[in-house]
Amino acid sequence: MSLRANNYYKATSLDDAYQKLKDNPKNAIIAGGLWMKKTGLSYETLIDLSELHLNEIKVNKDEIHVGALVTLRDFETNPEIKKLNGGATSFGVSEVVGPAFRNTATIGGSIFGRFPFSDVIASLLPLDVTVKLYPEQSYSLEEFLNIKGKVDGILTEIVIKKEEGKGYFHKVKATSLDFAMVNISISKRNNKHYIAVGSRPLVASLARKAMIEADKGDFKEAARLAAEELSYLDSNNISKAYRQDLVKVYVLRGLEEVNK
Amino acid sequence: MKKFKVVNNKTHSVCGQAEMMGRAVYTQDYEVPGSLVLKMLRSPHAFARIKKIDTSKAEALNGVKCVLTYKNVPHVAFSRAGQGAPQPSPIDKFILDEYVRFIGDEVACVAAINEQIAEDALKLIEVEYEVLEPVLDYKTAYKSKNVIHPEEGISQAFEMGFRPKDNVAASYEMEVGDVEKELAKCDVVIEHAAETQAQAHAMLEPHTCNARLDEHNRLVIYSSTQTPFHVRRIMAQTLGMPLSQIRIVKPRVGGGFGGKQQFHGEMFVALVTLRTGLPSSMIYTREEVFASSYTRHPMYISMKIGADKDGTIRAIDCHALSDTGAYGEHALTVFMIVGSKVLPLYNKVKAVRFGGRVLYTNHVPAGAYRGYGAIQGNYVLESAIDMLAEKLHMDPVELRKKNSMKEKETSPIFEIMGEGTKGTAMIMESCKLPYCIDRGAELIGWKEKYPRKQVGPHKVRSVGCAIAMQGSGIPFSDMGSCAITLQDGGFYMVRCGATDIGQGSDTLISQIVAEELMTTVDKVIIYSSDTDLAPFDVGAYASSTTYISGNAAWKTAIKMRERLISEAATMLEVKEKDIIFDGKTFKAGNKEISLFDLSNKLIYSAPQHQVAVTESYIGHVSPPPFMAAYAEVEVDTETGEYEVLDYVSVVDCGTTINPMLAKGQVEGGITQGFGMASTEEVIYNSKGQLLTNSFLYYHVPTCKTIKHLTTEFADSYEPTGPFGAKSVGEIGIDTPPAVLCNAIYNAVGVRINSLPITPEKILKAMKEKEGK
Amino acid sequence: MKLQFFLNGTDVVWDVRPDEYLSNALRRHGIFSIRVGCDESICGSCTVLVDEKPVLSCSVLAITVNGKHVTTVEGIQEEVARLSHFFGEEGANQCSYCGSGMAIIIHALKKEYKNPTDEQIRDFMVGNICRCTGYHSQFKAIKAYLAEGK
Repeated sequence: MSLRANNYYKATSLDDAYQKLKDNPKNAIIAGGLWMKKTGLSYETLIDLSELHLNEIKVNKDEIHVGALVTLRDFETNPEIKKLNGGATSFGVSEVVGPAFRNTATIGGSIFGRFPFSDVIASLLPLDVTVKLYPEQSYSLEEFLNIKGKVDGILTEIVIKKEEGKGYFHKVKATSLDFAMVNISISKRNNKHYIAVGSRPLVASLARKAMIEADKGDFKEAARLAAEELSYLDSNNISKAYRQDLVKVYVLRGLEEVNK
Repeated sequence: MKKFKVVNNKTHSVCGQAEMMGRAVYTQDYEVPGSLVLKMLRSPHAFARIKKIDTSKAEALNGVKCVLTYKNVPHVAFSRAGQGAPQPSPIDKFILDEYVRFIGDEVACVAAINEQIAEDALKLIEVEYEVLEPVLDYKTAYKSKNVIHPEEGISQAFEMGFRPKDNVAASYEMEVGDVEKELAKCDVVIEHAAETQAQAHAMLEPHTCNARLDEHNRLVIYSSTQTPFHVRRIMAQTLGMPLSQIRIVKPRVGGGFGGKQQFHGEMFVALVTLRTGLPSSMIYTREEVFASSYTRHPMYISMKIGADKDGTIRAIDCHALSDTGAYGEHALTVFMIVGSKVLPLYNKVKAVRFGGRVLYTNHVPAGAYRGYGAIQGNYVLESAIDMLAEKLHMDPVELRKKNSMKEKETSPIFEIMGEGTKGTAMIMESCKLPYCIDRGAELIGWKEKYPRKQVGPHKVRSVGCAIAMQGSGIPFSDMGSCAITLQDGGFYMVRCGATDIGQGSDTLISQIVAEELMTTVDKVIIYSSDTDLAPFDVGAYASSTTYISGNAAWKTAIKMRERLISEAATMLEVKEKDIIFDGKTFKAGNKEISLFDLSNKLIYSAPQHQVAVTESYIGHVSPPPFMAAYAEVEVDTETGEYEVLDYVSVVDCGTTINPMLAKGQVEGGITQGFGMASTEEVIYNSKGQLLTNSFLYYHVPTCKTIKHLTTEFADSYEPTGPFGAKSVGEIGIDTPPAVLCNAIYNAVGVRINSLPITPEKILKAMKEKEGK
Repeated sequence: MKLQFFLNGTDVVWDVRPDEYLSNALRRHGIFSIRVGCDESICGSCTVLVDEKPVLSCSVLAITVNGKHVTTVEGIQEEVARLSHFFGEEGANQCSYCGSGMAIIIHALKKEYKNPTDEQIRDFMVGNICRCTGYHSQFKAIKAYLAEGK
């Protein structure tokens, strides 16, 4: 089925966009617009935020502010992002399909969708990331992922805390155009380990017990815990057990890497 | 090696540039602007009977011009397989039917003035189904109480074991010698069985066709088809039209691989345009390409191989079951190739047996797919050969060399088995397989690398190998023809039926003609695959293009050269035998005339006639191309993941008419075959719905899949082929499943007996082995 | 809806539906280099440049390119002719349905990197599926094309 929408509306302010969104349950925000037609839904009005300067990356001393409409490609090639987490965050996002896809997909769309397979979410989750919404709301990325039901508001930006650290990202995939079978993302900073596992095939989560064990220096046990403490499911092409096996292997390899 | 000027030399694809530069070349580009858009209502059930269908609301929708259901289309059974006559596939499909037999099967077709209205109209069609219990496992389909084709009016053109009441589309049995007796005498017997999946062609251009009536009200269809002449014939029969009223044009095709040998939307655009008088167009969505066109036949194949202690293979026993899905396109022919293009590789056996059944299920229909039958058979046979080598404590390369086909040898199978019918005896006039095996082993570094090397704490590198053969067209069946006219200005117009679907047939036919006429490719203007303007050719399938169509072109060019010499002799008033023609000038003693002058005089002065020749070629043998393939893989022993570091192919396809395009055929085939071997998983749910119906879920190889390909050709000359050539379109795809399976076994000691060979299966098998 | 943009440098005004994708609008206006292979944001054969960045035209709403510059293969003909010469040299064009999209991605690659590594070339090519060639010949052709004049 082709995409259906009766109107297109260019919002003049965030409030304007939000009001329009509230007008009709069949109105929707366009982020990158990828896969909208795959949903098979019909829309009344598509709301475009492109006039609202949400496609900028701003850096100050402590933080990187990434607008919701920043494309994955602009994100991953940004010099500040490249420095982040030893390059692992940029690398993780660069694992999404090809450059033309990433020139269209946006940070906001990727996070707002809370997709289970998301390499973007997994890449960011071990970092200190704040998700900002309009009307004024602020969540840690982890909190945002855990919001039950529909999120009310428009994602405007994410704020990433700049910290020195080492990182690791690994996506297990059949081919480069595949969704992750699992994705493992690790950050080590200030002697603390942050371990996120996504595509289980549930949205990425932090493996908290594993993180504690990793801080103690028992990486093998941390890897075992990461495979145990989170929930894993069978999906069409991959079993729960294999996902857990992969997590055990790659969490260990990741921890060894960030502790080299 | 013989020396050629055009053939066997680098020549760019004659159409590659226009295609890349975005010119209007593919079927969709020829759609009449404003054409009616066709959309298909497809079955949500794997098996059902339509109890009631009401299209009145859809028809009443503004902009809808036509709705087709089984009630208003001709009820004539036909085969969509796109083969010659008599058709070697069951005649078991109606344009639209009261029964729907897989999720995605055609229920009703809407034609509207645009896509949105057509889609809206689909939602307005009311259908009441009697849902029937589907058959979703071909291994238990035989004589199931659920009969997929209970209807009247279906048939077989000749006896092929078609027993629809038993869910059997076709069956076949053959035996040479006494297999049981030979196996009993063998020192070593290997038993092996494995299963293959319903690979998707995944050609980039979706199935596309469009229709219009010309100024004489003839039906003109542009279609991305591999078989324009078969489409015309079968359409005329099914719609009850004279052949003369149909013209099928095949523009550039964006990939076929067998998937476009069969009918897709042609019947529907034809009916809509005939009924409305308006041009119409149908383009499959990607989901329809996956779930409503055709797949490779999944098969379960078991083998017994018996050998003496010294490694002489004495007997092969092969039994297969094949899943043809809801309809029987290519059911018999694909099945027979499991035997006929695989088992003759080991031709020194005293006895060989092959047989089994092709079963209907309520899955997406299977059809032609590059390497059909051969890739399935090769995977199982070549795995079993490695198992035999291990049991005999022999190097698998040595075992293959000892037992495989050599030049001037034959196999009794050639005479017994053809494609659907009896075969044709033949001697291998060209077979450089022993060279291919040796050279491939050298290129991969077999001696140093076999079987494995630990290269890291959890990384192992290993090598694997397999050999393969194919054919070059179907003897006494595949016919190609060509017509050449000399044009004023001294260039040639070549018209041929050979169907270029991206493999480059237009290019290599231009080369063949240019070589024979001692000219250059730019003096040869080629036009192909238009049933009004080109002479007959069966189309692009069965590796027939280089050998059959190529021979037709060569024969025609030879005739043209003879005609030119005769015309020049008349004009110069000398004897034909005294003329020396170098492609540009005819010389006899001190008399001469240039081709340019001759061509102009022939048209404008005397004798004022058109020099035109037409020839056809029908194969009397089907000389097989051969190859040896090797891969080096690196396996992660903790996860089962692996990557291919190099894939070496050494191929004997006789003379390569176009070395770069031949290489492209091999490498493209290897990569597609490797996709089948590794990542192209096919998943149905318990209701019979294909879940891998998108590039998001069906994983074809990317540019990162295989790190390196090494491809070489053996110095070989096939005396019956055009300038010594054999066909090369399919051979490349045959080996990857077996090569990968063997390499993984050599790395980690587990043999994966179902495709694709996924890391998960490898790890699971490793754990099971450790647990034992 | 009225859409004004620059198509291969020419200011054009088209009428598009709010839900129409750029691929459809371009083809409707005779830009045949847009080969729609999957129409679901994966295969790459419909790639075009929007403000010099490669994007999948099957996934960009036409109306969102308002005021922007869209470049298709029709706008860089000389460059694509040159690239296709190298494809010809390597036998890298078979069905070529992926060819226009590949040409656009290579244009973008060349803009971004002066001397791309093999890895960088593959990172750009990876979103463009080719089912015919096995990629090896394409990769060699692209390398030769990029090396030209260096």
